[in-house]
Amino acid sequence: MSSRIMVIDDEKIVGDMAKISLEEEGYEVETFLNADPALKRLQETGFDVVVTDLKMKGIDGLEVLRTVKQNHPDTKVIMITAFADLDVAIEAIKGDVFDFFPKPVRIKELKASISKALSKED
Amino acid sequence: MKIERKIILSNTVYLLLILIIGGFAVQALNSVSNKQRFLEIADDLNASFLTMRLSEKNYFLFNDDVALNDIQNNIAQAGDVMDSVRGDIVPVIGEQSYDDLRNGLNDYAAAINQASINHARDQQTADKIREKGRSLEETSNRIIQLERSSVSDIITRSKWLLFSSFFAVLVAALIASRSVTRKILGPIKQIERLARSISAGNFKKIETPMPKDEFGPVIDAINSMSEELEEREEELIQSRKLASIGVLVAGVAHELNNPVNNISMIAQTYDDMYQKLTEEQRIEFMRKVDQESERIKGIVTNLLDFARPKEPKPRETDINALVGKALVLVKNTLTVSSIETRFDLAEGLPQIFIDDNQVQQVFVNLFLNAAQAMAPGGRLFVSTRLQPDESMVDIIIRDTGKGIQPEYLPNIFDPFFSTKEEGGTGLGLSVSYGIIKNHGGNIKVESRPGIGTTFTIQLPVNNLEKGKI
Repeated sequence: MSSRIMVIDDEKIVGDMAKISLEEEGYEVETFLNADPALKRLQETGFDVVVTDLKMKGIDGLEVLRTVKQNHPDTKVIMITAFADLDVAIEAIKGDVFDFFPKPVRIKELKASISKALSKED
Repeated sequence: MKIERKIILSNTVYLLLILIIGGFAVQALNSVSNKQRFLEIADDLNASFLTMRLSEKNYFLFNDDVALNDIQNNIAQAGDVMDSVRGDIVPVIGEQSYDDLRNGLNDYAAAINQASINHARDQQTADKIREKGRSLEETSNRIIQLERSSVSDIITRSKWLLFSSFFAVLVAALIASRSVTRKILGPIKQIERLARSISAGNFKKIETPMPKDEFGPVIDAINSMSEELEEREEELIQSRKLASIGVLVAGVAHELNNPVNNISMIAQTYDDMYQKLTEEQRIEFMRKVDQESERIKGIVTNLLDFARPKEPKPRETDINALVGKALVLVKNTLTVSSIETRFDLAEGLPQIFIDDNQVQQVFVNLFLNAAQAMAPGGRLFVSTRLQPDESMVDIIIRDTGKGIQPEYLPNIFDPFFSTKEEGGTGLGLSVSYGIIKNHGGNIKVESRPGIGTTFTIQLPVNNLEKGKI
Protein backbone atom coordinates (compact mmCIF):
# COMPACT_ATOMS: atom_id res chain seq x y z
CA MET A 1 0.00 0.00 0.00
CA SER A 2 1.36 3.40 -0.99
CA SER A 3 2.09 6.03 1.67
CA ARG A 4 -0.53 8.71 2.20
CA ILE A 5 0.47 12.36 2.15
CA MET A 6 -1.72 15.34 3.10
CA VAL A 7 -0.82 18.84 1.88
CA ILE A 8 -2.46 21.89 3.52
CA ASP A 9 -1.75 25.33 2.04
CA ASP A 10 -4.06 28.25 1.28
CA GLU A 11 -2.14 28.80 -1.93
CA LYS A 12 -3.79 26.42 -4.38
CA ILE A 13 -0.69 26.16 -6.59
CA VAL A 14 1.37 24.72 -3.72
CA GLY A 15 -1.07 21.84 -3.32
CA ASP A 16 -1.38 21.32 -7.07
CA MET A 17 2.36 21.19 -7.72
CA ALA A 18 3.03 19.06 -4.65
CA LYS A 19 0.33 16.62 -5.76
CA ILE A 20 1.78 16.24 -9.27
CA SER A 21 5.33 15.80 -8.01
CA LEU A 22 4.53 13.51 -5.09
CA GLU A 23 2.10 11.31 -7.03
CA GLU A 24 4.94 10.82 -9.46
CA GLU A 25 6.87 9.28 -6.56
CA GLY A 26 4.01 6.85 -6.02
CA TYR A 27 2.40 8.51 -3.02
CA GLU A 28 -1.28 8.96 -2.50
CA VAL A 29 -1.82 12.72 -2.10
CA GLU A 30 -4.78 14.77 -0.81
CA THR A 31 -4.65 18.59 -0.78
CA PHE A 32 -6.60 21.13 1.32
CA LEU A 33 -6.79 24.91 1.18
CA ASN A 34 -7.38 25.28 4.89
CA ALA A 35 -6.90 23.32 8.06
CA ASP A 36 -10.45 22.80 9.19
CA PRO A 37 -11.59 20.24 6.55
CA ALA A 38 -8.07 18.76 6.57
CA LEU A 39 -8.28 17.93 10.29
CA LYS A 40 -11.75 16.45 9.77
CA ARG A 41 -10.37 14.27 7.00
CA LEU A 42 -7.61 13.17 9.37
CA GLN A 43 -10.24 11.88 11.79
CA GLU A 44 -11.74 9.74 8.99
CA THR A 45 -8.56 8.28 7.63
CA GLY A 46 -4.91 8.15 8.59
CA PHE A 47 -2.02 9.87 6.77
CA ASP A 48 1.66 9.10 7.01
CA VAL A 49 2.88 12.62 6.45
CA VAL A 50 1.14 15.99 6.76
CA VAL A 51 2.77 18.91 4.90
CA THR A 52 1.25 22.13 6.20
CA ASP A 53 1.72 25.82 5.63
CA LEU A 54 2.37 27.76 8.82
CA LYS A 55 0.42 30.99 8.31
CA MET A 56 -3.16 30.28 7.36
CA LYS A 57 -6.46 31.93 8.11
CA GLY A 58 -8.37 30.21 10.86
CA ILE A 59 -6.40 27.27 12.22
CA ASP A 60 -2.70 27.85 11.59
CA GLY A 61 0.17 25.40 11.03
CA LEU A 62 1.19 25.23 14.69
CA GLU A 63 -2.35 24.32 15.65
CA VAL A 64 -2.37 21.61 12.96
CA LEU A 65 0.92 20.30 14.34
CA ARG A 66 -0.46 20.14 17.88
CA THR A 67 -3.69 18.43 16.83
CA VAL A 68 -1.94 15.87 14.63
CA LYS A 69 0.63 15.03 17.31
CA GLN A 70 -2.11 14.68 19.89
CA ASN A 71 -4.40 12.44 17.86
CA HIS A 72 -1.98 10.64 15.55
CA PRO A 73 1.48 10.60 17.20
CA ASP A 74 2.90 8.47 14.37
CA THR A 75 2.04 10.93 11.62
CA LYS A 76 5.00 13.09 10.66
CA VAL A 77 4.42 16.82 10.16
CA ILE A 78 6.48 18.91 7.76
CA MET A 79 6.01 22.66 8.04
CA ILE A 80 6.44 25.14 5.23
CA THR A 81 6.38 28.86 5.86
CA ALA A 82 6.50 32.03 3.85
CA PHE A 83 8.84 33.69 6.29
CA ALA A 84 11.13 32.05 8.76
CA ASP A 85 10.57 33.32 12.25
CA LEU A 86 12.83 31.99 14.97
CA ASP A 87 10.08 31.94 17.60
CA VAL A 88 7.82 29.96 15.29
CA ALA A 89 10.66 27.56 14.43
CA ILE A 90 11.35 26.94 18.14
CA GLU A 91 7.67 26.40 18.76
CA ALA A 92 7.50 23.94 15.88
CA ILE A 93 10.54 22.02 17.07
CA LYS A 94 9.06 21.81 20.56
CA GLY A 95 5.90 20.50 18.94
CA ASP A 96 7.96 17.71 17.40
CA VAL A 97 7.88 18.91 13.81
CA PHE A 98 9.72 16.55 11.48
CA ASP A 99 11.08 19.17 9.11
CA PHE A 100 10.79 22.86 8.41
CA PHE A 101 10.97 24.50 4.95
CA PRO A 102 10.98 28.18 4.16
CA LYS A 103 9.34 29.28 0.91
CA PRO A 104 10.28 29.05 -1.92
CA VAL A 105 10.22 25.33 -1.38
CA ARG A 106 12.71 23.09 -3.20
CA ILE A 107 10.53 20.20 -4.33
CA LYS A 108 13.46 17.80 -4.42
CA GLU A 109 14.27 18.60 -0.79
CA LEU A 110 10.65 18.18 0.15
CA LYS A 111 10.59 14.80 -1.55
CA ALA A 112 13.75 13.77 0.25
CA SER A 113 12.37 14.90 3.57
CA ILE A 114 9.15 12.94 3.03
CA SER A 115 11.11 9.92 2.02
CA LYS A 116 13.20 10.23 5.21
CA ALA A 117 10.06 10.63 7.31
CA LEU A 118 8.54 7.51 5.79
CA SER A 119 11.71 5.46 6.21
CA LYS A 120 11.87 6.46 9.88
CA GLU A 121 8.30 5.35 10.23
CA ASP A 122 9.14 1.94 8.79
CA MET B 1 1.57 101.40 19.70
CA LYS B 2 1.56 99.22 22.78
CA ILE B 3 -1.86 98.59 24.29
CA GLU B 4 -0.63 99.71 27.70
CA ARG B 5 0.47 103.05 26.24
CA LYS B 6 -2.80 103.32 24.36
CA ILE B 7 -4.77 102.84 27.56
CA ILE B 8 -2.58 105.37 29.42
CA LEU B 9 -2.96 107.86 26.57
CA SER B 10 -6.72 107.49 26.37
CA ASN B 11 -7.01 107.85 30.16
CA THR B 12 -4.86 110.99 30.00
CA VAL B 13 -7.13 112.40 27.30
CA TYR B 14 -10.24 111.76 29.45
CA LEU B 15 -8.56 113.38 32.42
CA LEU B 16 -7.66 116.46 30.35
CA LEU B 17 -11.18 116.67 28.96
CA ILE B 18 -12.64 116.42 32.47
CA LEU B 19 -10.22 119.11 33.74
CA ILE B 20 -11.19 121.42 30.89
CA ILE B 21 -14.88 120.86 31.57
CA GLY B 22 -14.23 121.43 35.27
CA GLY B 23 -12.36 124.66 34.42
CA PHE B 24 -15.28 125.90 32.37
CA ALA B 25 -17.69 125.01 35.12
CA VAL B 26 -15.62 126.80 37.80
CA GLN B 27 -15.32 129.83 35.56
CA ALA B 28 -19.06 129.90 34.96
CA LEU B 29 -19.73 129.50 38.68
CA ASN B 30 -17.30 132.37 39.47
CA SER B 31 -18.98 134.57 36.97
CA VAL B 32 -22.42 133.72 38.35
CA SER B 33 -21.24 134.35 41.88
CA ASN B 34 -19.72 137.75 40.88
CA LYS B 35 -22.92 138.74 39.19
CA GLN B 36 -24.85 137.56 42.22
CA ARG B 37 -22.69 139.81 44.41
CA PHE B 38 -23.30 142.72 42.05
CA LEU B 39 -27.02 142.03 42.13
CA GLU B 40 -26.97 142.11 45.95
CA ILE B 41 -25.16 145.50 45.88
CA ALA B 42 -27.46 146.70 43.12
CA ASP B 43 -30.52 145.69 45.17
CA ASP B 44 -29.17 147.73 48.11
CA LEU B 45 -28.52 150.69 45.82
CA ASN B 46 -31.95 150.33 44.33
CA ALA B 47 -33.48 150.34 47.79
CA SER B 48 -31.58 153.49 48.65
CA PHE B 49 -32.66 155.08 45.30
CA LEU B 50 -36.27 154.29 46.25
CA THR B 51 -35.76 155.96 49.65
CA MET B 52 -34.37 159.02 47.82
CA ARG B 53 -37.42 159.15 45.53
CA LEU B 54 -39.66 158.87 48.60
CA SER B 55 -37.83 161.72 50.35
CA GLU B 56 -38.03 163.69 47.09
CA LYS B 57 -41.82 163.33 47.24
CA ASN B 58 -41.82 164.49 50.90
CA TYR B 59 -39.79 167.56 49.97
CA PHE B 60 -42.12 168.66 47.20
CA LEU B 61 -45.51 167.60 48.56
CA PHE B 62 -45.04 168.23 52.28
CA ASN B 63 -42.42 171.03 52.10
CA ASP B 64 -40.15 168.92 54.29
CA ASP B 65 -36.66 170.53 54.03
CA VAL B 66 -35.07 167.77 56.08
CA ALA B 67 -36.01 165.35 53.29
CA LEU B 68 -33.49 167.03 51.04
CA ASN B 69 -30.77 166.37 53.61
CA ASP B 70 -31.86 162.75 53.79
CA ILE B 71 -31.51 162.50 50.02
CA GLN B 72 -28.08 164.10 50.15
CA ASN B 73 -26.99 161.63 52.84
CA ASN B 74 -28.35 158.71 50.85
CA ILE B 75 -26.61 159.93 47.70
CA ALA B 76 -23.33 160.23 49.58
CA GLN B 77 -23.77 156.73 51.02
CA ALA B 78 -24.67 155.25 47.63
CA GLY B 79 -21.74 157.09 46.05
CA ASP B 80 -19.40 155.73 48.72
CA VAL B 81 -20.72 152.22 48.16
CA MET B 82 -20.36 152.52 44.40
CA ASP B 83 -16.84 153.90 44.71
CA SER B 84 -15.78 151.26 47.16
CA VAL B 85 -17.09 148.33 45.11
CA ARG B 86 -16.09 149.80 41.76
CA GLY B 87 -13.37 147.17 41.37
CA ASP B 88 -15.94 144.42 41.86
CA ILE B 89 -18.68 145.88 39.73
CA VAL B 90 -16.80 147.10 36.69
CA PRO B 91 -15.69 143.63 35.58
CA VAL B 92 -19.28 142.44 35.92
CA ILE B 93 -21.30 145.14 34.23
CA GLY B 94 -18.56 146.92 32.32
CA GLU B 95 -17.11 150.44 32.51
CA GLN B 96 -19.91 151.94 30.42
CA SER B 97 -22.78 150.74 32.62
CA TYR B 98 -20.90 151.70 35.77
CA ASP B 99 -20.25 155.18 34.42
CA ASP B 100 -23.90 155.50 33.34
CA LEU B 101 -25.00 154.66 36.84
CA ARG B 102 -22.36 156.83 38.54
CA ASN B 103 -23.14 159.80 36.21
CA GLY B 104 -26.85 159.28 36.80
CA LEU B 105 -26.20 159.51 40.56
CA ASN B 106 -23.95 162.55 40.09
CA ASP B 107 -26.56 164.31 37.92
CA TYR B 108 -29.22 163.56 40.51
CA ALA B 109 -26.89 164.78 43.27
CA ALA B 110 -26.20 167.98 41.29
CA ALA B 111 -29.94 168.61 40.82
CA ILE B 112 -30.61 168.01 44.55
CA ASN B 113 -27.70 170.23 45.60
CA GLN B 114 -28.95 173.03 43.39
CA ALA B 115 -32.43 172.78 44.88
CA SER B 116 -31.06 172.75 48.42
CA ILE B 117 -29.18 176.07 47.93
CA ASN B 118 -32.26 178.18 47.39
CA HIS B 119 -34.88 175.73 48.75
CA ALA B 120 -36.52 175.94 45.33
CA ARG B 121 -39.87 174.18 45.00
CA ASP B 122 -40.85 175.54 41.62
CA GLN B 123 -42.22 173.30 38.90
CA GLN B 124 -39.01 173.45 36.83
CA THR B 125 -36.82 172.28 39.72
CA ALA B 126 -39.30 169.58 40.62
CA ASP B 127 -39.41 168.34 37.02
CA LYS B 128 -35.63 168.30 36.77
CA ILE B 129 -35.16 166.41 40.03
CA ARG B 130 -37.91 163.93 39.16
CA GLU B 131 -36.45 163.39 35.71
CA LYS B 132 -32.93 162.77 37.07
CA GLY B 133 -34.30 160.48 39.81
CA ARG B 134 -36.38 158.47 37.32
CA SER B 135 -33.41 158.24 34.97
CA LEU B 136 -31.19 156.99 37.82
CA GLU B 137 -33.81 154.44 38.85
CA GLU B 138 -34.31 153.32 35.27
CA THR B 139 -30.56 152.97 34.63
CA SER B 140 -30.21 150.90 37.76
CA ASN B 141 -33.21 148.74 36.88
CA ARG B 142 -31.98 148.27 33.34
CA ILE B 143 -28.55 147.15 34.52
CA ILE B 144 -30.07 144.80 37.07
CA GLN B 145 -32.40 143.38 34.47
CA LEU B 146 -29.49 142.92 32.08
CA GLU B 147 -27.40 141.17 34.72
CA ARG B 148 -30.28 138.92 35.81
CA SER B 149 -30.78 137.73 32.27
CA SER B 150 -27.01 137.38 31.86
CA VAL B 151 -26.92 135.13 34.97
CA SER B 152 -29.67 132.99 33.57
CA ASP B 153 -27.80 132.88 30.21
CA ILE B 154 -24.63 131.74 31.94
CA ILE B 155 -26.51 129.03 33.80
CA THR B 156 -28.18 127.82 30.61
CA ARG B 157 -24.89 127.90 28.72
CA SER B 158 -23.09 126.03 31.51
CA LYS B 159 -25.80 123.42 31.61
CA TRP B 160 -25.50 122.91 27.86
CA LEU B 161 -21.70 122.94 27.99
CA LEU B 162 -21.62 120.37 30.79
CA PHE B 163 -24.15 118.15 29.08
CA SER B 164 -22.44 118.27 25.69
CA SER B 165 -18.97 117.80 27.10
CA PHE B 166 -20.11 114.80 29.13
CA PHE B 167 -21.61 113.44 25.94
CA ALA B 168 -18.32 114.06 24.13
CA VAL B 169 -16.37 112.30 26.87
CA LEU B 170 -18.80 109.39 26.70
CA VAL B 171 -18.45 109.09 22.91
CA ALA B 172 -14.66 109.43 23.10
CA ALA B 173 -14.54 106.77 25.82
CA LEU B 174 -16.73 104.43 23.78
CA ILE B 175 -14.62 104.86 20.65
CA ALA B 176 -11.35 104.50 22.54
CA SER B 177 -12.50 101.47 24.49
CA ARG B 178 -13.83 99.88 21.33
CA SER B 179 -10.53 100.39 19.58
CA VAL B 180 -8.62 99.01 22.57
CA THR B 181 -11.05 96.10 22.85
CA ARG B 182 -10.63 95.36 19.17
CA LYS B 183 -6.88 95.54 19.55
CA ILE B 184 -7.11 93.00 22.35
CA LEU B 185 -9.93 90.78 21.09
CA GLY B 186 -8.70 90.58 17.49
CA PRO B 187 -5.40 88.87 18.32
CA ILE B 188 -7.09 86.74 21.02
CA LYS B 189 -9.55 85.46 18.39
CA GLN B 190 -6.66 84.77 16.01
CA ILE B 191 -4.77 82.93 18.73
CA GLU B 192 -7.88 80.94 19.62
CA ARG B 193 -8.38 79.95 15.97
CA LEU B 194 -4.74 78.93 15.70
CA ALA B 195 -4.90 76.88 18.90
CA ARG B 196 -7.97 75.08 17.57
CA SER B 197 -6.35 74.33 14.26
CA ILE B 198 -3.18 73.14 16.02
CA SER B 199 -5.20 70.80 18.21
CA ALA B 200 -6.83 69.51 15.02
CA GLY B 201 -3.34 68.76 13.71
CA ASN B 202 -2.96 71.68 11.29
CA PHE B 203 0.22 73.47 12.19
CA LYS B 204 -0.65 76.80 10.66
CA LYS B 205 0.72 80.19 11.62
CA ILE B 206 -0.73 83.63 12.12
CA GLU B 207 0.35 85.37 8.93
CA THR B 208 -0.92 88.90 9.56
CA PRO B 209 1.81 91.52 10.06
CA MET B 210 3.16 91.27 13.56
CA PRO B 211 1.33 93.83 15.75
CA LYS B 212 3.69 96.20 17.57
CA ASP B 213 1.75 95.88 20.82
CA GLU B 214 1.93 93.31 23.61
CA PHE B 215 0.41 90.67 21.31
CA GLY B 216 3.38 90.78 18.96
CA PRO B 217 5.61 88.62 21.17
CA VAL B 218 2.65 86.36 22.09
CA ILE B 219 1.81 85.67 18.44
CA ASP B 220 5.49 85.23 17.73
CA ALA B 221 5.76 82.65 20.53
CA ILE B 222 2.65 80.82 19.35
CA ASN B 223 3.88 80.76 15.77
CA SER B 224 7.19 79.28 16.84
CA MET B 225 5.32 76.79 19.04
CA SER B 226 3.27 75.74 16.03
CA GLU B 227 6.45 75.39 14.00
CA GLU B 228 8.09 73.38 16.78
CA LEU B 229 5.03 71.12 17.09
CA GLU B 230 5.02 70.54 13.36
CA GLU B 231 8.69 69.55 13.48
CA ARG B 232 8.04 67.29 16.44
CA GLU B 233 5.13 65.66 14.66
CA GLU B 234 7.28 65.11 11.60
CA GLU B 235 9.94 63.54 13.84
CA LEU B 236 7.28 61.39 15.42
CA ILE B 237 5.96 60.33 12.04
CA GLN B 238 9.52 59.67 10.95
CA SER B 239 10.24 57.48 13.96
CA ARG B 240 6.95 55.68 13.53
CA LYS B 241 7.84 55.15 9.89
CA LEU B 242 11.19 53.69 10.98
CA ALA B 243 9.41 51.46 13.48
CA SER B 244 6.99 50.34 10.83
CA ILE B 245 9.83 49.40 8.49
CA GLY B 246 10.10 46.15 10.45
CA VAL B 247 6.41 45.52 9.86
CA LEU B 248 6.86 46.63 6.26
CA VAL B 249 9.75 44.25 5.61
CA ALA B 250 7.90 41.31 7.11
CA GLY B 251 4.79 42.29 5.18
CA VAL B 252 6.63 42.58 1.88
CA ALA B 253 8.43 39.31 2.50
CA HIS B 254 5.23 37.49 3.25
CA GLU B 255 3.24 39.09 0.46
CA LEU B 256 5.92 38.46 -2.14
CA ASN B 257 7.03 35.07 -0.91
CA ASN B 258 3.78 33.35 -1.73
CA PRO B 259 3.64 34.18 -5.45
CA VAL B 260 7.42 33.71 -5.74
CA ASN B 261 7.08 30.28 -4.14
CA ASN B 262 4.22 29.46 -6.49
CA ILE B 263 6.26 30.39 -9.56
CA SER B 264 9.22 28.50 -8.21
CA MET B 265 7.17 25.36 -7.58
CA ILE B 266 5.58 25.54 -11.03
CA ALA B 267 9.01 25.95 -12.60
CA GLN B 268 10.47 23.02 -10.65
CA THR B 269 7.53 20.79 -11.51
CA TYR B 270 7.69 21.88 -15.15
CA ASP B 271 11.37 21.06 -15.24
CA ASP B 272 11.10 17.72 -13.43
CA MET B 273 7.97 16.50 -15.15
CA TYR B 274 8.33 18.07 -18.60
CA GLN B 275 8.08 14.79 -20.50
CA LYS B 276 5.07 13.61 -18.55
CA LEU B 277 3.06 16.81 -18.72
CA THR B 278 0.40 17.16 -21.39
CA GLU B 279 0.47 20.12 -23.76
CA GLU B 280 -2.55 21.60 -21.94
CA GLN B 281 -0.83 21.19 -18.58
CA ARG B 282 2.27 23.01 -19.84
CA ILE B 283 0.16 25.90 -21.15
CA GLU B 284 -1.81 25.94 -17.89
CA PHE B 285 1.47 26.09 -15.94
CA MET B 286 2.67 29.08 -17.94
CA ARG B 287 -0.65 30.85 -17.48
CA LYS B 288 -0.34 30.36 -13.76
CA VAL B 289 3.20 31.76 -13.84
CA ASP B 290 1.83 34.80 -15.63
CA GLN B 291 -1.00 35.19 -13.08
CA GLU B 292 1.45 34.98 -10.21
CA SER B 293 3.69 37.56 -11.88
CA GLU B 294 0.65 39.84 -12.11
CA ARG B 295 0.09 39.28 -8.43
CA ILE B 296 3.66 40.38 -7.69
CA LYS B 297 3.21 43.38 -9.94
CA GLY B 298 0.08 44.35 -8.01
CA ILE B 299 1.92 44.18 -4.69
CA VAL B 300 4.82 46.19 -6.05
CA THR B 301 2.48 48.83 -7.49
CA ASN B 302 0.73 49.14 -4.14
CA LEU B 303 4.08 49.43 -2.46
CA LEU B 304 5.18 52.17 -4.87
CA ASP B 305 1.90 54.01 -4.34
CA PHE B 306 2.62 53.89 -0.68
CA ALA B 307 6.25 54.94 -1.00
CA ARG B 308 5.57 57.73 -3.49
CA PRO B 309 2.03 58.98 -3.11
CA LYS B 310 0.69 60.59 -6.27
CA GLU B 311 0.39 64.36 -6.27
CA PRO B 312 -3.25 65.25 -5.71
CA LYS B 313 -4.95 66.94 -8.65
CA PRO B 314 -7.45 69.08 -6.79
CA ARG B 315 -10.68 70.45 -8.12
CA GLU B 316 -13.86 71.88 -6.68
CA THR B 317 -15.88 69.00 -5.27
CA ASP B 318 -19.26 68.50 -3.65
CA ILE B 319 -18.30 66.20 -0.79
CA ASN B 320 -21.82 64.75 -0.37
CA ALA B 321 -21.94 63.81 -4.04
CA LEU B 322 -18.52 62.18 -3.72
CA VAL B 323 -19.72 60.12 -0.74
CA GLY B 324 -22.65 59.01 -2.91
CA LYS B 325 -20.35 58.05 -5.81
CA ALA B 326 -18.10 56.02 -3.51
CA LEU B 327 -21.12 54.22 -2.09
CA VAL B 328 -22.30 53.25 -5.57
CA LEU B 329 -18.95 51.52 -6.09
CA VAL B 330 -19.34 49.36 -2.99
CA LYS B 331 -23.11 48.94 -3.22
CA ASN B 332 -22.79 45.37 -4.45
CA THR B 333 -20.55 44.33 -1.56
CA LEU B 334 -22.88 45.97 0.94
CA THR B 335 -25.95 44.30 -0.57
CA VAL B 336 -24.29 40.88 -0.63
CA SER B 337 -23.34 41.26 3.04
CA SER B 338 -26.88 42.53 3.90
CA ILE B 339 -25.51 45.76 5.29
CA GLU B 340 -27.90 48.62 5.76
CA THR B 341 -26.57 52.10 4.98
CA ARG B 342 -27.83 55.22 6.74
CA PHE B 343 -26.99 58.78 5.74
CA ASP B 344 -26.97 62.05 7.56
CA LEU B 345 -25.45 64.45 5.04
CA ALA B 346 -25.39 68.14 6.02
CA GLU B 347 -27.04 70.50 3.55
CA GLY B 348 -25.35 73.58 2.16
CA LEU B 349 -21.78 72.38 2.69
CA PRO B 350 -19.20 74.53 0.93
CA GLN B 351 -17.48 73.09 -2.12
CA ILE B 352 -14.01 71.89 -1.19
CA PHE B 353 -10.89 71.69 -3.27
CA ILE B 354 -9.73 68.06 -3.37
CA ASP B 355 -8.55 65.34 -5.71
CA ASP B 356 -11.91 63.61 -5.96
CA ASN B 357 -10.45 60.34 -7.26
CA GLN B 358 -8.03 60.02 -4.35
CA VAL B 359 -10.55 60.97 -1.70
CA GLN B 360 -13.12 58.65 -3.27
CA GLN B 361 -10.53 55.87 -2.96
CA VAL B 362 -10.29 56.66 0.76
CA PHE B 363 -14.08 56.45 1.15
CA VAL B 364 -14.19 53.16 -0.76
CA ASN B 365 -11.39 51.76 1.45
CA LEU B 366 -13.22 52.75 4.61
CA PHE B 367 -16.60 51.47 3.36
CA LEU B 368 -15.07 48.12 2.41
CA ASN B 369 -13.22 47.87 5.74
CA ALA B 370 -16.48 48.59 7.52
CA ALA B 371 -18.33 46.00 5.44
CA GLN B 372 -15.67 43.39 6.17
CA ALA B 373 -15.76 44.15 9.89
CA MET B 374 -19.50 43.57 10.10
CA ALA B 375 -21.64 40.47 10.26
CA PRO B 376 -24.65 40.35 7.90
CA GLY B 377 -27.32 42.79 9.07
CA GLY B 378 -24.75 45.34 10.24
CA ARG B 379 -25.28 49.04 9.77
CA LEU B 380 -23.04 51.59 8.09
CA PHE B 381 -23.64 55.22 9.10
CA VAL B 382 -22.22 57.95 6.89
CA SER B 383 -22.57 61.60 7.88
CA THR B 384 -21.05 64.90 6.85
CA ARG B 385 -20.96 68.19 8.69
CA LEU B 386 -19.28 71.59 8.69
CA GLN B 387 -17.20 72.30 11.77
CA PRO B 388 -18.52 75.22 13.86
CA ASP B 389 -15.64 77.50 12.81
CA GLU B 390 -16.33 76.53 9.16
CA SER B 391 -12.66 75.70 8.56
CA MET B 392 -13.15 71.99 7.98
CA VAL B 393 -15.69 69.53 6.67
CA ASP B 394 -16.04 66.29 8.64
CA ILE B 395 -16.95 63.00 7.02
CA ILE B 396 -17.86 60.41 9.62
CA ILE B 397 -18.02 56.72 8.73
CA ARG B 398 -19.29 54.50 11.52
CA ASP B 399 -19.94 50.76 11.49
CA THR B 400 -21.49 48.31 13.92
CA GLY B 401 -18.72 45.80 13.32
CA LYS B 402 -16.51 43.88 15.67
CA GLY B 403 -14.30 46.87 16.44
CA ILE B 404 -10.54 47.08 16.80
CA GLN B 405 -8.67 46.00 19.92
CA PRO B 406 -7.27 49.05 21.73
CA GLU B 407 -3.70 47.72 21.45
CA TYR B 408 -3.98 47.69 17.64
CA LEU B 409 -5.37 51.24 17.33
CA PRO B 410 -2.00 53.06 17.31
CA ASN B 411 -0.83 50.89 14.42
CA ILE B 412 -3.80 50.73 12.15
CA PHE B 413 -2.45 53.41 9.80
CA ASP B 414 0.92 51.64 9.57
CA PRO B 415 1.73 50.02 6.25
CA PHE B 416 1.12 46.26 6.07
CA PHE B 417 -0.72 46.31 9.34
CA SER B 418 -3.87 44.24 8.99
CA THR B 419 -6.36 42.78 11.42
CA LYS B 420 -8.29 41.13 8.64
CA GLU B 421 -8.29 37.37 8.53
CA GLU B 422 -8.76 37.24 4.80
CA GLY B 423 -7.07 39.11 2.02
CA GLY B 424 -5.95 42.71 2.35
CA THR B 425 -2.44 43.91 1.80
CA GLY B 426 -2.50 46.01 4.97
CA LEU B 427 -1.86 49.05 2.81
CA GLY B 428 -5.41 50.43 2.47
CA LEU B 429 -5.50 52.51 5.63
CA SER B 430 -1.92 53.74 5.36
CA VAL B 431 -2.54 54.84 1.76
CA SER B 432 -5.80 56.52 2.90
CA TYR B 433 -3.92 58.24 5.69
CA GLY B 434 -1.34 59.53 3.23
CA ILE B 435 -4.02 60.86 0.86
CA ILE B 436 -5.90 62.74 3.58
CA LYS B 437 -2.66 64.17 5.03
CA ASN B 438 -1.63 65.29 1.54
CA HIS B 439 -4.89 67.22 1.37
CA GLY B 440 -4.03 69.04 4.60
CA GLY B 441 -6.67 67.02 6.42
CA ASN B 442 -6.85 64.52 9.25
CA ILE B 443 -8.14 61.02 9.70
CA LYS B 444 -8.97 59.73 13.14
CA VAL B 445 -10.28 56.46 14.45
CA GLU B 446 -12.27 55.50 17.50
CA SER B 447 -13.25 51.95 18.18
CA ARG B 448 -14.90 49.82 20.81
CA PRO B 449 -14.54 46.07 20.44
CA GLY B 450 -17.93 44.46 19.92
CA ILE B 451 -19.67 47.78 19.30
CA GLY B 452 -18.05 49.26 16.22
CA THR B 453 -15.54 51.61 14.70
CA THR B 454 -15.82 55.26 13.71
CA PHE B 455 -13.48 56.92 11.24
CA THR B 456 -13.59 60.71 11.10
CA ILE B 457 -12.05 62.42 8.08
CA GLN B 458 -11.50 66.16 8.28
CA LEU B 459 -10.84 68.07 5.08
CA PRO B 460 -10.01 71.79 5.04
CA VAL B 461 -12.50 74.13 3.39
CA ASN B 462 -10.14 77.02 2.69
CA ASN B 463 -8.02 75.10 0.17
CA LEU B 464 -10.45 76.63 -2.30
CA GLU B 465 -9.10 80.10 -1.55
CA LYS B 466 -5.53 79.07 -1.99
CA GLY B 467 -6.38 77.33 -5.26
CA LYS B 468 -3.92 74.64 -4.48
CA ILE B 469 -3.16 72.08 -1.82
